[in-house]
Amino acid sequence: MLTIICGDTYVLGGGYAKCASSLMNLTEADNQSFFDERKYREKACASWLKEQSTVVHKPVLLAAIAGIINGLAVIAQSALLAYILQALIIDKLHWLVLIPYFLWLAGVFILRSVCVYYHQTYGFEAGAKVRAVVRQQLIDKISSLGPAAIKQRQSGELVAITLEQVDALENYFSRYLAQHTIVGVLPIIMIAVVMPINWVVGLIFLFTGPLVPVFMALVGMGAASANRNQFLAMTRMSGYFLDRMQGLATLKLFGQAYHELANINHIADGFREKTMSVLRIAFLSSAILEFFSAVAVALVAMYVGLGLLGQIHFGPAQQISLSEALFVLLLAPEFFMPLRQLAVYYHDKAAALGAADAILAILEQDSEVFNGIGGASNAKDTFDASIIEFREASKYYGQRQVLTNINLKISVGEKIALVGESGAGKTTLLNLLLGFEAVSEGLVLLEGQLVTRDQAVQVIASAGQQTYIFHGSIRDNIALSNPEASEQSIFNAATSAGVTEFSTQLAEGLHTLIGERGYGLSGGQIQRIALARAFLKEAEIIVLDEPTANLDTANKIVLLDIIDELFKGKTLIIASHDHEVIKRMDRKVEIQQGRLVS
Amino acid sequence: MKDLWFFLKLFKPHRFYLGAGVVLSLLTAFASISLLTLSGWFISSSALAGTAISFNFMLPAAQIRALAITRTLGRYGERLLTHEATFRVLASIRSWFFFQIIPLVPGRLATLRSGDLLSNMTADIDALDALYLRLLAPALVAAFGVTAVVGFLYLYSPLISLTTGTLLLIAVLVIPWLFNRLGVAGAEAIVSLAASFRIRQIDMIQGLSDLLANQAYSRFSRVLAQLSSTMIDTQRHNNRLSALSSALTLLLSQITLLAALVLAAISYQDDHLSGAELALIIFCVIATFELVTPLSQAMQMLAKTQKSASRIRQVAELSPSVIQSKQPLSIPNSYDLQLENVSFRYSGNLDWVLKNINLNIPQGAKLAIIGVSGSGKTTLLQLLMRYFDPELGAIYLNGHNLKQFNSDDLLLNFGVLSQRSQLFAATIKENLLIAKPNATMLELNVAIKLAGLEKLISYLPEGIDTWVGESGLKVSGGEARRIALARLYLKDAPVLILDEPTEGLDSETEQEIFSSLAKFAQNKTLIMVTHKESGLSLVDFIYRMELGVLIEMGAV
Repeated sequence: MLTIICGDTYVLGGGYAKCASSLMNLTEADNQSFFDERKYREKACASWLKEQSTVVHKPVLLAAIAGIINGLAVIAQSALLAYILQALIIDKLHWLVLIPYFLWLAGVFILRSVCVYYHQTYGFEAGAKVRAVVRQQLIDKISSLGPAAIKQRQSGELVAITLEQVDALENYFSRYLAQHTIVGVLPIIMIAVVMPINWVVGLIFLFTGPLVPVFMALVGMGAASANRNQFLAMTRMSGYFLDRMQGLATLKLFGQAYHELANINHIADGFREKTMSVLRIAFLSSAILEFFSAVAVALVAMYVGLGLLGQIHFGPAQQISLSEALFVLLLAPEFFMPLRQLAVYYHDKAAALGAADAILAILEQDSEVFNGIGGASNAKDTFDASIIEFREASKYYGQRQVLTNINLKISVGEKIALVGESGAGKTTLLNLLLGFEAVSEGLVLLEGQLVTRDQAVQVIASAGQQTYIFHGSIRDNIALSNPEASEQSIFNAATSAGVTEFSTQLAEGLHTLIGERGYGLSGGQIQRIALARAFLKEAEIIVLDEPTANLDTANKIVLLDIIDELFKGKTLIIASHDHEVIKRMDRKVEIQQGRLVS
Repeated sequence: MKDLWFFLKLFKPHRFYLGAGVVLSLLTAFASISLLTLSGWFISSSALAGTAISFNFMLPAAQIRALAITRTLGRYGERLLTHEATFRVLASIRSWFFFQIIPLVPGRLATLRSGDLLSNMTADIDALDALYLRLLAPALVAAFGVTAVVGFLYLYSPLISLTTGTLLLIAVLVIPWLFNRLGVAGAEAIVSLAASFRIRQIDMIQGLSDLLANQAYSRFSRVLAQLSSTMIDTQRHNNRLSALSSALTLLLSQITLLAALVLAAISYQDDHLSGAELALIIFCVIATFELVTPLSQAMQMLAKTQKSASRIRQVAELSPSVIQSKQPLSIPNSYDLQLENVSFRYSGNLDWVLKNINLNIPQGAKLAIIGVSGSGKTTLLQLLMRYFDPELGAIYLNGHNLKQFNSDDLLLNFGVLSQRSQLFAATIKENLLIAKPNATMLELNVAIKLAGLEKLISYLPEGIDTWVGESGLKVSGGEARRIALARLYLKDAPVLILDEPTEGLDSETEQEIFSSLAKFAQNKTLIMVTHKESGLSLVDFIYRMELGVLIEMGAV
């Protein structure tokens, strides 16, 4: 049972490590707790998927209706074929007389083709809509989580979730859901059609059809788990393989690459044997589906055939006509078709659950909440005196306290040097001010109001420790805060910040492309672009985090002169531990291990 | 097609399972077709005979039962065998691919976006399971099956047999193939749109603070949403093509049925066919649809599988970034490194990353190189470890050009700590043993203690045997870095390479790691690359890298 449990729970991305461990003797109890945990998570993912489907009820329903009409057309087609064969064989009608029926048949064929087309296109719309909605949610979520939370994840991983994992939801909404509806409707219609014609055949359908899921459950796997297990085995093996490939550089560094190759072969063999032993049971469910489908055809053929021969007297066997007999025989395989199709689509569901797990991990992460503790509505009166105020502000990350009881007032036009060793809490303090993170205790007031990110980014221009240069032109990078700024004001900002000093030497000047795959910039050049960006924003408060790090002395002096000139009369906060910076400011605020020292 | 043949050759060792799978699939298909055909014939014959029994009805009745059982057992066996075959084939392809890329790492694959590349490769290899399961097997089954059905129908009516065969082939081969061709441009557009999306979003995530501070995030995200919706529009267009293809395939197969019906009716009227034979032909044609339906799905997948195959081959057949010497020198005991006029760029049409660098690193020297990201610091480290060879100038180890050594041997003499600490999905112990497979428990414990992992391990119920890595225990960045640090200690290499060793860690952990390193590095060469000022106490000399030029900043 060990591996079966494992196989079943693996659905939610990345369980293969645990599975691999079960191959290598993990205790039953461990497996059970892992199993329970996964089961719970799977439920959460399944209900999230259900929630998403509410926005696509209409296209899913339309796709299902197209599928059901196709099924009805199959019934009509079977009836027409049966009638034509009876007319030819028994009633000995000339085929030319039957031309209207041939035309009807052609009409039914066209109807079926149209249904197949719409079934697939409506299905696509369902998947497309969900993907667009979820993708937008993820993009918005990343901004509401903010830089501090996002830093803990690899950007490649986040992109893979917004792109590939969201795409992996597609088939569940475009194919599986509609098919699920069809399975609930079509077999019942078919039984309803067959019953009045021949109730014995109706009973054969009635008993073999619903028995399929019952027997599948008895085999212990739930419907169509064969497909799912196969899907799981694949994911598990490729997950292991990817893990080792991504670590190949590390393996080589320790001379273990060729040794690991033998391991990969060994593990693959182990996985195969274990998986096949699961599949031997799991495939019983598809064998059962096959068995009932075959038995239904065989039973119907025997019953009506022997009835026609007068060998059976049970039920309406002897009143049966050839056309009725052929009709029910043609319907027998079609009766099982929707169920077989659902089994084929079953791994769509497993794939969607896996994707949902990865997507939810992002969407469920808590965003920073900006609710100040204690009333601050009357704080507005004090705004004239201080534009920025930290009132007993503290910040924790879990157990770790990064800022403790900060009390700080900054007046309009003041120039502050925020001093402290790296890791003392300077960047966190600035993040609180910018609304990138929320305080754990206390208040941060900006212009007399409790700070929110929306307000902070309006009144503050800031340049972080490592200014990011976006792929685009120098001009675009300067005009980040205000893309509609006039060329003149952008040029002014570029000139004042000393960007034109180097851009004029480039063939395309301010329109030179920079960023990834673009022209490389030196540390000093990047800082000047950052200053031009901040200047163009025309904000009242300027916050600069370590603007002179990575610069040599000559460049540093030039840059500080530019800063003095650009931000004359503004409230300026510079985080730095450089003496040259401190010297030029009005006041030094020192922070040590998360506390202000006076 | 060439790429698919290439991989088919890798299938060869597994031909028994592959062949047996196809044989059983065929058996099942025959049972399935025969069951319906025989039933149709049986019912019609019965109706014609009526109660005046004129044929031995016991035989077909028994045959129908036998076919139903054959079909069930055949399907079960076929599934087992085809999956066994697929797993074996995939295992072969995986180990073949792994073997192929060992020489490409770290040099050649480092220049590509390797994380994405490898996860795409994994998906591509998985996609090759379709090659047998959904392409080769259905194609063979359909080829043999349709030939047999056409031959069988030929016994009754050559005209019906050939008409049916031709129309069916057009329906399941030509139509899907044609529509696939029409969709190629769209499929390629989707790939390049996805690439733009990826670049754009990576920009947005890495520059998140700048975007938020400048109120530009929503503007950027609108562009991203636009890209996404263009992508979905293109997919919609392609989906329409594929839906049209399915619809036309269905229509044409139904027309095949209609044609067979009309032709059979005419033959029947002319007394070339009996009534029961007429029913038999019609049921046979209907049953054959089941045989060819997977083929039209296979045709729709052909292009995708082919793309995967060609991408895998492209990567596997890359040439390594350095050429190994035929008679490599053995690695000396002392490590004096010297760079002479070294210039480097990743390819002839890109900018120089390193410009005329001269640097002496005698055994035991400790130096740091600072500079902004993208200035060439990490590239310099990679040249020292011979991921790449300099384009101009040379690097010497004890007076011998680095090119004279085998690069795999060289790697064994470097201890590396970087901001990416690779943890494998395995236990902590196994993760440590990678650095020294025959390490004793005592050695492990010393390394654990030095790296400051003791607290973590004592807190875990399973201790050193706890699973880490993806889906195992979620270790923090600091803990992962400490595991990498313990590995560094176990390996005990003469040269330590620290590439932004404490990036992303809190200051407390940073301090602990640096003080631990300070003791360990005493008699070793240490080369550190960083953009921060912490940790500079470890080194004696500081250099600055500015746009590929190395500038001496002097002693600490």
